[in-house]
Amino acid sequence: MPTLTPERWQQISPFLDEVLEIPEGERVNWLDSFRVQKPELADLLQELLNEHCALQRKHFLEGSPIHDTNQSSLAGQKIGAYTLLSPIGEGGMGSVWLAERSDGRFERRVAIKFLRFSIATAGGAERFRREGRILGQLAHPHIAELIDAGVTLPGEPYLVLEYVEGQHMDEYCDQRKLGVEARIRLFLDVLSAVAQAHANLVVHRDLKPSNVLVRNDVQVKLLDFGIAKLLKGEGNPATATILTQEGGGALTFQFAAPEQVTGGAVTTATDVYALGVMLYLLVTGEHPAGRGQLSPADLVKAIVETETPRALDAVMSPEAKMAAEKRRTTPERLRRLLRGDLYTILGKALKKNPGERYSSVTAFADDLQRFLKHETISARPDSFTYRINRFVRRNRLAIAFSSFALFAIIAGIVGTAVQARTARRQRDFAIDQLARAEGINDLNRFLLSDAAPSGKPFTALDLLTRAEHIVERRKTTDKTSIELLTSIGDQYEQLSENASARRVLAHAYELSRNVNDPSVRSRAACALAVAIAYTADTGRAEALFREGLAELDTDPRFALDRAYCLLRGDNVARERGSFAEAEARVQAAQKFLSQSSVHPESMELDSLIDLAESYRVGNRHIDAISTFQIAWGLLARSGRDDTATAAQLLDLWALTLEGAGRPLDAEPLYRHAIAISRSDQANHGLGAWLLRDYATTLRDLGKFEEAENYAEHAYSRALEQGEVLMADTALLQLFQIHLQSHNLKKAEATMATLTPRIERDFPPDHYIAAILAAQKGLLARAQGNLELALELLDHAVSVLESASRTGNRGSEQLPRILVYRSQVELDLGHNEEARTDAHRALEHFANSLSGAFSCDMGRAYMALGNALEAQGKADEAREAYRSAVEQLENAVGPDHPEARTARQFAGRETR
Amino acid sequence: MAKCELARRGVPVSLSATTLLHQAYIEIAEREKACFPDQARFMGYAARVMRGLIIDHARNRGAQKRGGRFEITSMGSEVENLADVGELTQLSEALDELANSDAGLSEIVDLKFFCGFTFAEIAAMKGISERTVQRQWEKARIYLHRKISADLEG
Repeated sequence: MPTLTPERWQQISPFLDEVLEIPEGERVNWLDSFRVQKPELADLLQELLNEHCALQRKHFLEGSPIHDTNQSSLAGQKIGAYTLLSPIGEGGMGSVWLAERSDGRFERRVAIKFLRFSIATAGGAERFRREGRILGQLAHPHIAELIDAGVTLPGEPYLVLEYVEGQHMDEYCDQRKLGVEARIRLFLDVLSAVAQAHANLVVHRDLKPSNVLVRNDVQVKLLDFGIAKLLKGEGNPATATILTQEGGGALTFQFAAPEQVTGGAVTTATDVYALGVMLYLLVTGEHPAGRGQLSPADLVKAIVETETPRALDAVMSPEAKMAAEKRRTTPERLRRLLRGDLYTILGKALKKNPGERYSSVTAFADDLQRFLKHETISARPDSFTYRINRFVRRNRLAIAFSSFALFAIIAGIVGTAVQARTARRQRDFAIDQLARAEGINDLNRFLLSDAAPSGKPFTALDLLTRAEHIVERRKTTDKTSIELLTSIGDQYEQLSENASARRVLAHAYELSRNVNDPSVRSRAACALAVAIAYTADTGRAEALFREGLAELDTDPRFALDRAYCLLRGDNVARERGSFAEAEARVQAAQKFLSQSSVHPESMELDSLIDLAESYRVGNRHIDAISTFQIAWGLLARSGRDDTATAAQLLDLWALTLEGAGRPLDAEPLYRHAIAISRSDQANHGLGAWLLRDYATTLRDLGKFEEAENYAEHAYSRALEQGEVLMADTALLQLFQIHLQSHNLKKAEATMATLTPRIERDFPPDHYIAAILAAQKGLLARAQGNLELALELLDHAVSVLESASRTGNRGSEQLPRILVYRSQVELDLGHNEEARTDAHRALEHFANSLSGAFSCDMGRAYMALGNALEAQGKADEAREAYRSAVEQLENAVGPDHPEARTARQFAGRETR
Repeated sequence: MAKCELARRGVPVSLSATTLLHQAYIEIAEREKACFPDQARFMGYAARVMRGLIIDHARNRGAQKRGGRFEITSMGSEVENLADVGELTQLSEALDELANSDAGLSEIVDLKFFCGFTFAEIAAMKGISERTVQRQWEKARIYLHRKISADLEG
């Protein structure tokens, strides 16, 4: 077959076009006449045409070089806890499968959506999961729940969604011949869902009737909320137009706002526009740009250039008649309807300039409600006031949206502030969901427009600092300012910026004295109480808490406020060492939470963490561990298992495991917590607490070098943040690492710095002071001064014994120190005392651990074995060593030096 | 932790055409910071990147198992006994040559064959009628087949 030269191709190409246009049956005639005109090309053309027919039969190039995901062979495959059943459909964004839970724990059918979007980088996958979880928090009866999000092995992201059986909204309305008012009422449900999402700073970006389903029970369900955003590549907003959102599938511009077509900033106003198109379609059955099939080019032109939507034609077309029939009205009435207020409302929603549209979905809904009640609407037909500042704000909003850090932090500030408002609204017995969402919107706007530094990246801390300055500058001492300051303080505390938290909360408290709203007064007092409690001034903290709680009378309207206060009071009680009281306060808070008509998940979580923490410091390790497990489950279910709260929970959970002598179990939890903190853009570094606690576990596992590194970091971090007590305890940890790694010189130096600090910061009967004495004792032992060692350990034991008698904090430290003392007593030849102390320690551990393995138990058994051996009781000693082996191998691993030593002792013939 | 496990144990789902298209998009958006006057032109570019990605993929897998996930099931019989990577590479070379004389035709094949767009979608993208797209595709197909066949013979 001869090659076609470019010249030949150029010659033949137009004729090929021509002949291919002709129906097959007429081609022979055409070719005959062509042969007369262009004899030199006729043969070639005939040949090419023959080839064309052959290729058509062979379906050459009609397939695809790759198989699509949407194959029935996928049925039965498992995705996480779900088994794929059957494909539901192929959307613009990817294929959707019906699936059910495969673990049989409960029956639930879900829809799994594979997004056509490969995440090439690990960072991309992480971002996808994080944002997926944010969306998972969008709890609203009219938003289809996002249950989970993940990425399959080849990097294809998927979403697990509530399975909704229903009809597209427009079809539903048409089929039931709903009148215009009924349609608007149904549409208001959509608006309330979108308003809620906007309040959480989630923009849908792809609202259209096929994304709104109506179930048979008339429940409206919005699908794919914010998923378009998941599909958006990082940065580069200019090219992230509708193209990327549509998954490269059908490029429909039908519901696109002008800014989406031109590549402008996508904001909440974009959704307002799409909602306007939807409403226009629902009411009239036509697109605002015109009737029937519009070419994409016409649509784009209409979207970008037409200022106001088209009024309905006066011409009586069959389509108009049918549309009217489906609405149980006449074309005339429909046309009249669209000339009045409804037209004005639609006009405002469909403004080309995002800044001129309804400022919020709620405002849109309000006008529709007024329209339904025949009241005067807020939108004016002549409202062409172009407000440049509005525009600037909108653009800033877009910048803000691009930063993930902002999401978390604003959600935090707004979240707690809204809780306070919710509590007050309850008192008024008027929880209007839309009104509440509008309240949140106010705060959002305020924070986003004024508090967000424009254009450059910033951390959560930067934002908080700015938010704080702005609130301070307001110079008005209204409730909003105090609420915001209180929330900002709470957020600082979340970031472990305790000094800043104290400063802001003290200010909020001071301001709150001038208002007489009990909710505001009590929250300000209780929030400050916790901040003060961490400074060890627990007396003042307790007084503040009681003062805060006393502001609220027993009216059920205050249930949420009481819970808020009690959840701070339990922290205060714990810091005071009153564990029983702490537990009681948490339980009281849980009771009030269950009484409240709203159940903020965050408060439920707080209460679980606080309860676990009360168990932990009350030395009830097993209860604490199981409560942390429950709390973690709740956190994971709500998709927040990679937040700052998650890191804190993991740290406390790990701390409990460490306290229970299970460093092997604690270590992965710490690593997870550290990974979360590191990847958290909103965070400014690892918290000193996390570094310090991890160092403890590493030390227990014999990884001294790493442990030293982390402890040093914890110390300098604490100093940076001005956290005196944290610095003290980090230094104490560092000392123990030096001592256990036999670095006597460093240990001595650290002790020299440590002693004056602890003596300055803690009262002599504090358990930290007792630990210091015990550590000094161990140092003395290492230096060979056994008498001094025993004296110091005796002192430590007596302080802790009295602590456990009076219910003060530190009793959990007693058994460890008894083990230390047992070793010193053995060195001194006080064999019976050594045996007694080891035995006592074992009893303590047995009580708090109820049989779980623990390295502390292992060490106590070793001490007991040593003492028994010294007393000549070889068989009993071997028994103790064997128990030590069992405990240590399970708690620190069989390769740990301590486990090896224990095995040697258990295996050799005793003298 | 559960989530990490989930991610690790993901089901090996084959990449879909549009998944690759998105990858192509990201590649362009991230590396080139390219600015395109309109979407049609962007799509044309993306489709070429897409072709490259698919051939890379085929190359990576083709060594061990013939075809793998990639089977040009509908390619003509004359080139059938070639390895898939070979087929694709030849097709790609032919497309490059076609682009020299008629870039529009080559782009339509990229969009249709490599990106899996329908004629209607391509028509919407390019602002021309569906019929025209189909005719141009048919024309391109003749050219490509001829070119590949000629190469095989020669």
